[in-house]
Amino acid sequence: MAGGGAAKRDAGDSGFLGFRSVSVDPGAARRRKRGPRNKKRGWRRLAEEPLGKEVDTFLEDVRLQERTAGGLIAETPDENLFFVDTGHKEKDLKINQDLKKAWTDRVLESQSKVPSPKKSSLQLREGESLAGSPRGSMGLDSSPRQLPVRLLVIEGIRLHTLISFFFPFLQRPQRLQTKPSQAPAVEVIPSGGSYNPSFQDHQALLREAHEVELQRQKVEEKLSRQLAFPTVDKAPTQESEFKELCEGLLEESDGETPAEPEGEGEADSQTQRPPGPEKKTEQQRRREKEARKLKAQQAAERAAKKRHQEVFQLRGIRLQVARRLAELARRRERRRLKRLAEDEKPRRLGRLKYQAPDIDVQLSTELADLEEPEGSILRDRFKSFQRRNMIEPRERARFKRKYKVKLVEKRSFREFP
Amino acid sequence: MGGLEKKKYERGSATNYITRNKARKKLQLSLADFRRLCILKGIYPHEPKHKKKVNKGSTAARTFYLLKDIKFLLHEPIVNKFRDYKVFVRKLRKAYGKSEWNTVERLKDNKPIYKLDHIIKERYPSFIDALRDLDDALSMCFLFSTFPRTGKCHVQTIQLCRRLTVEFLNYIIASRALRKVFLSIKGIYYQAEVLGQPIVWITPYAFSHNHPTDVDYRVMATFTEFYTTLLGFVNFRLYQTLNLQYPPKLERPKDQESKDQDEEAYAMDSESSLEKLSALSASLARVVVPVTEEEEQMDEFPVDGENAEQEEGLRKEREAQEKHKKLFEGLKFFLNREVPREALAFIIRSFGGEVSWDKSLCIGATFEEKEPSITHQIVDRPLPPVPIIGRCYVQPQWVFDSVNARLRLPVEDYFPGVLLPPHLSPFVIEKEGDYVPPEKLKLLALQRGETPGKEAESESEEEEEEEEEEEGEEEEDGEGGDDQEEEEEEEGSEKEEEAKLKVMEAQRTQTKKPQVTMGTLDKRRQLPQEEENEAKRLAIMTMRKREKYLYDKIMFGKRRKVREANKLAQKRKAHDEALKAEKKQQKKARRA
Repeated sequence: MAGGGAAKRDAGDSGFLGFRSVSVDPGAARRRKRGPRNKKRGWRRLAEEPLGKEVDTFLEDVRLQERTAGGLIAETPDENLFFVDTGHKEKDLKINQDLKKAWTDRVLESQSKVPSPKKSSLQLREGESLAGSPRGSMGLDSSPRQLPVRLLVIEGIRLHTLISFFFPFLQRPQRLQTKPSQAPAVEVIPSGGSYNPSFQDHQALLREAHEVELQRQKVEEKLSRQLAFPTVDKAPTQESEFKELCEGLLEESDGETPAEPEGEGEADSQTQRPPGPEKKTEQQRRREKEARKLKAQQAAERAAKKRHQEVFQLRGIRLQVARRLAELARRRERRRLKRLAEDEKPRRLGRLKYQAPDIDVQLSTELADLEEPEGSILRDRFKSFQRRNMIEPRERARFKRKYKVKLVEKRSFREFP
Repeated sequence: MGGLEKKKYERGSATNYITRNKARKKLQLSLADFRRLCILKGIYPHEPKHKKKVNKGSTAARTFYLLKDIKFLLHEPIVNKFRDYKVFVRKLRKAYGKSEWNTVERLKDNKPIYKLDHIIKERYPSFIDALRDLDDALSMCFLFSTFPRTGKCHVQTIQLCRRLTVEFLNYIIASRALRKVFLSIKGIYYQAEVLGQPIVWITPYAFSHNHPTDVDYRVMATFTEFYTTLLGFVNFRLYQTLNLQYPPKLERPKDQESKDQDEEAYAMDSESSLEKLSALSASLARVVVPVTEEEEQMDEFPVDGENAEQEEGLRKEREAQEKHKKLFEGLKFFLNREVPREALAFIIRSFGGEVSWDKSLCIGATFEEKEPSITHQIVDRPLPPVPIIGRCYVQPQWVFDSVNARLRLPVEDYFPGVLLPPHLSPFVIEKEGDYVPPEKLKLLALQRGETPGKEAESESEEEEEEEEEEEGEEEEDGEGGDDQEEEEEEEGSEKEEEAKLKVMEAQRTQTKKPQVTMGTLDKRRQLPQEEENEAKRLAIMTMRKREKYLYDKIMFGKRRKVREANKLAQKRKAHDEALKAEKKQQKKARRA
């Protein structure tokens, strides 16, 4: 501090009047006065000037008085500074003592006018309050948490909602707004599934179920047919087996004779082959080059002519283009329809394929009363989720018994030490 | 050569997908937890277009998820709750093993729970989105509410489902939103229209059934968990739109003291409110007493040439719907013990009727059987010995069929003991040229306003009243009228039927828009028709080869349909004739 530093230097000096033991160099003083005024030094010098120092000491005095005596002494009332002295001990005590407060409290209370600094609410941690816990840090909170207005206690899920408002990439992406399948959520059973169906509808539904059963039976039959052991009349006999083994062996003699005459024919033609290509002469090269040039020229002329002619063929060309575009549009349309049809079908999502549920239908004999509902809605809903690609088809986890492998050493191989 | 080499499977679709196990490891969850998370967040596996590319050359069938979806899952806060739960389970098991019961109690008190509210707000940004997914939610909740409370499933889930479904049913009753009903062998299908969205759901019958073993139970429980939350939100919002109190309270009439004593016999105090609500017989309390305003007139737009028809059609539809909502208004129903009470109570109240049942059956019976103001009594057994005059005794199918037909069908077909007409599905809409069963034709005729006349008169006036005769013949009660009359009718109507079938065929092949009406052999109309046919034949002859080819193809398809329809009609005729023959024999036996 400039003031403090100056005070140290002037200890013992009557620095106030400017008499110093240190010799004053008038030139140095002038130089010091003339120095740069707009820099830090300029301001520091100001504090060391007599006026600055006076102001400084005055302010320090004021602060000291406020800290220790509770305000400027010049402003305190008489009762706080002086006490009445009548010469009588008891009378003095009575007049001068302050009965309102206890002596211990008076001793402990602070007399300074400067207030102690308080913690701001922003510095508080979760669970703390400005008042502090009444019994110190070890005690439990007797009252429920005081939440000052500025405190924001956000827990996980609200924080998430708040953050995803400010950060768009945390919001749900647009592609998840569409459903995974366009099939309707609840498919109403066809008319034949009514509890009192009309004859035709019931027959139609029975026929469908019948077809499904037929298909299944066919598949089973095919499998059993393929795996069946051959019957006695179809079983292979010794002769047929021998015949099978001999196949392909007896045709060798016929195969040899047609091969021989071919070989001779080849040998003859070899001697009479015309001479191979000889080296081309210059003439030949020139001629070939000219022929090539001519061809290229002609091709270019033809192309140019064609382009000229195309101007007159505009209508035809336009028709061609229109036809091609129509064809492409048709193909696009077909592909789009195909994709739409695919949308309603169940997708292959995992190892297992989607198995359509059995058609719920009651036989004519069972239709009489409402007592036994057919099928289970739980299974129906489960299959509906699978059909709409919301879960993958799963089969029940089978319990596979795994036996522990027991290692046994043969007695004969046991090593005896 | 310079530059980096491009390696296979490092970019493109191979890096957009991730297998299920890799995703699971990335999220550090067990398989059950991963599945549960995907179901709750609505993340589904994808089938890539080129499986070989995505699978890096192999064709093994694997489950693929989009990588971006899994990255989105990483930010989900309930993943931490899952991990907390795993830790909780481990600690609990240890405490149990060490028999530290204090620890067990303490841990159970601090069990980690999670809420799904933010997920629902994220998945359904608008209310209409939530309504679109309501089909599934309702079906699951109705299904779970009928589960037996054996402890296999959490009992709280079952109770919650029951409460939510009852609230929803009360909303439908208050808003008169029900449109179609279909009783099938699986369960009852309902269709309602909520805020313009058609919602279809299925309710199982109340009979308990064995649980199928091939259904993954945990998956269904997770779906239900999500859907119960969704349904709770939706219920609250729907009740708000109608200014009803939520949680729902019943409207309290002035004299309630005497009733409270009876209600003690039915349920405990804590459950009695839910039970009364689930009886569906009382109306709900409103938040603000509605000020009865005059009905707002729909805006009348100036009639445009093209839109005139459309506008007319829309207006007619609206009127028909308004009429449909008041189907049972003013009628009082009493349900016998043997009929399905919940379904009937729901349907009758949704269309404005009042309903009650025997006091000993269930809570909430509003009036007794002996009340004179009852207009209909629903029975399923043969008539009681002393039928009370002034009320109709009908079988329950009358209610369902009336709702689907949008008008009160004649009760004669549904008297107790009568062979009921078939219950047709209202969800099937027949296209042109398809086979329409005669019952449906009859229904359409009724809807158009032709009243069914009785048997005697119609013999003389053939053409106009052919339909009524058909009905008269079909109705054929067991009680029956004069034998001779019946026989005459039968013969006459047989001939008429044949003629009708022929005309139907002719109409279908010739006219471009075959209408589903009974044909009339009106001589007045034959001349212009013949002229039309001539013109048509000329047009066909003057067609080009290409066009004729197309035309032949179209006509072939149409004719095939018609042939099939005729086959079915013939079959039906044969069946009917067989029935008639049987009845004749029976009557002969009775006479003799």
